[in-house]
Amino acid sequence: MSLGHIEVIALGLAAGVLVGLMGIGGGIVLVPLLVYLLHMDQHMAQGTSIMVLLPPTGVGALYLYWKQRHVDLQAGLVCAAGFLLGGFFGGRWAIHINSKNLQGLFGCFLMIAALLLWRKAKPRQPSKPPGKVHV
Amino acid sequence: MFEGRLRLPAIFIAACMVGVMAGLFGVGGGVLLVPLLVLIFNFDQHRAQGTSLVALVPPTGVLAFAEYYRAGQVNLLDGFLIMPGIFLGALAGSQLAQNFSGARMRRVFATFLFLIGLWQVIAAWK
Repeated sequence: MSLGHIEVIALGLAAGVLVGLMGIGGGIVLVPLLVYLLHMDQHMAQGTSIMVLLPPTGVGALYLYWKQRHVDLQAGLVCAAGFLLGGFFGGRWAIHINSKNLQGLFGCFLMIAALLLWRKAKPRQPSKPPGKVHV
Repeated sequence: MFEGRLRLPAIFIAACMVGVMAGLFGVGGGVLLVPLLVLIFNFDQHRAQGTSLVALVPPTGVLAFAEYYRAGQVNLLDGFLIMPGIFLGALAGSQLAQNFSGARMRRVFATFLFLIGLWQVIAAWK
């Protein structure tokens, strides 16, 4: 195993922490990491990221959420069906866009996701007065 | 916003649209799904994250993957090397998430995403 391989494994570990912490798939950090650290082109990074997301890598994280009753199973399954269908059309579409434009669009997507993430960050627990949340 | 009988169909339609984005950008979709569940469907933050993980357990990206694979745009070796790290890292991350209110952490992450996004846009279209 070369240094390059170890670097790739460490990269997966770092992305995985965000998966559990944020309840996301990890692709959003994997794609830029693959592009900038492993110098893949945009299409190759996206295809490899999609592959990494195929096995249920988040299942351990899900179990921990499940134990705390933080899971709506019905809504989750409906979302899975939507992802399957939508993903097909998105994948087809991506192949026909040139790599440079795809990279730019990916950047726009990241910024929109960032704005949405920022907005939902307001605390919702009624027991804690706003502005006094201790992290 | 959507209650009763409309709730699940509305969630399905939202997930389809997120799915298109997921296939288009080679990501899982959770990063859009989590805020949408909170903002539109009134999920509490932890519940939105747990529910998003349900949607990421089945291989929902398989059709999108097939499109990339046929076009020769997949690096199998690097992909396999990344998988175990994601699994272990995700365990550590969810343990962390149960222990503290993620509000500040999310803002740090959002800022980080925004800057990477901006960098990608500038690199692509300068």
